[in-house]
Amino acid sequence: MTFVKNHLGLILPLFAILFSLEYLLLFDRSLSQYEVRLKEQYSVVLVAKGADKERIIASSKLIERVDDINKTRALGKVTHSISKTQSEALRASMPDFYDIKLKRYPSGKELETLKSALLRLKGVQRVLVFEKVHDKLYGMLLFMKSNFYMFGLLIGAVGFLLIVKQMQIWQYEHRQRLQIMALFGAPLWLRSGILFRMAVVDALIAVFMVMLTVLYLPYNTQVALMTEETGVDVTALIRWQDFGLIGAVGLGIALLCAMWVVVRFREEL
Amino acid sequence: MPSVIQAKELKLAYPRHEPVIQNATFQVETKDFVFITGASGSGKSTLLKSLYGAMPVSGGGLMVGGMDMRTLSSAKLYKLRRHLGIIFQDYKLIAEWTVEKNIMLPLMIAGYPKDVCRAQAGKLLAHVKLTHKADRLPPELSGGEQQRVAMARALAHNPFLILADEPTGNLDDYSARVIWELLQKANRELETTVLVVTHRIPELYDLSYRHLILENGVLHDIR
Repeated sequence: MTFVKNHLGLILPLFAILFSLEYLLLFDRSLSQYEVRLKEQYSVVLVAKGADKERIIASSKLIERVDDINKTRALGKVTHSISKTQSEALRASMPDFYDIKLKRYPSGKELETLKSALLRLKGVQRVLVFEKVHDKLYGMLLFMKSNFYMFGLLIGAVGFLLIVKQMQIWQYEHRQRLQIMALFGAPLWLRSGILFRMAVVDALIAVFMVMLTVLYLPYNTQVALMTEETGVDVTALIRWQDFGLIGAVGLGIALLCAMWVVVRFREEL
Repeated sequence: MPSVIQAKELKLAYPRHEPVIQNATFQVETKDFVFITGASGSGKSTLLKSLYGAMPVSGGGLMVGGMDMRTLSSAKLYKLRRHLGIIFQDYKLIAEWTVEKNIMLPLMIAGYPKDVCRAQAGKLLAHVKLTHKADRLPPELSGGEQQRVAMARALAHNPFLILADEPTGNLDDYSARVIWELLQKANRELETTVLVVTHRIPELYDLSYRHLILENGVLHDIR
């Protein structure tokens, strides 16, 4: 029982830290995926007469491409109630409409700058940026981002505090063995070997637990339902490289803990 | 041949305290069996600690196994300890290790292969009559049994010097007899030098020994 308790003392906080790290990575990717979807759905409409497409693209680094909006579609049902000649005249007098696609989802400030830059172009009569829709979505995105980062950091901080506590317990638990081994002249590597071995085993268990949890996510019905509604593909978010990073972080933390206990050890007089 | 222990005007003091030992001058030669006695708190254990480097020398000189304890680096101190057999009053067994593994400790430190360590531990377990408890953990043993394990551990690597701090202090007669017999045997057959700190010298037959008394921080060689 004590054996299990000793191991869980490091495994659980390490799991909390590593899972919050993986969670932040996954969430960051899902937000990026969501941002791409938002970007694809969002566009700026430009009304201009005699404007040059190349110049429109060159006016801002944010612009990915500029598509023409078909005037006939813009005129819509109006053309049915007038003659062909009148329709032609109307079409000729009408300005051109452009659909501007952006490279990424912009912030409110960036949108303002883009609008001003476009309005400065020759022939541009109007720029429609749909601020209300944009601000609502962007605000929501920022809110989600900050909340989830805070949540991840909070779990990480709790995990860190638990690890500090565990290090103090370790220091107490291993003191007797370290003391006796030192009295018999055991070199540092032998004295601390057990501690480091324990740290490595605990770290590997914690990493394995995180891997299992993450790989299980796409099969969880709640997660599946949520991703179906948001259109975020969880399977595409999981990357094998993450496990390498988590393994390195987990081992690093566990070894630092062991090192801390070894360094803090002082022979009693 | 240099003395195993050579103390000259040795002074031992805990930080910010009056000296526990003052001007102690004595020598212990190879094959000596030495008892140091004295009242409780007279500094016997402190003196013993200084011999294995757990208590720094405050003044004078102290040589153990030809090594100067005043200037010994920690690496050399650990090296020296690998050739000492230490028996503590409170046994100092590793609670989470089996009896057998505890006895194997000095051999593991010396770098012997596991099977050699195990064979030697087996022999010593037979000497201390605890073969049947090889797989037990120390807390499962009585005080007497734990001290016999500590005795076996102290002998495991054939040390040139055994330092024993009240080895039979609170033991039953049987365990105490086993401990004294083994110490005598090591001294006689293996020519190991033995230094025992105790408050009462046991009745030992067929043993010539030296007796040092610690009184008010001063050491007197009386035999």
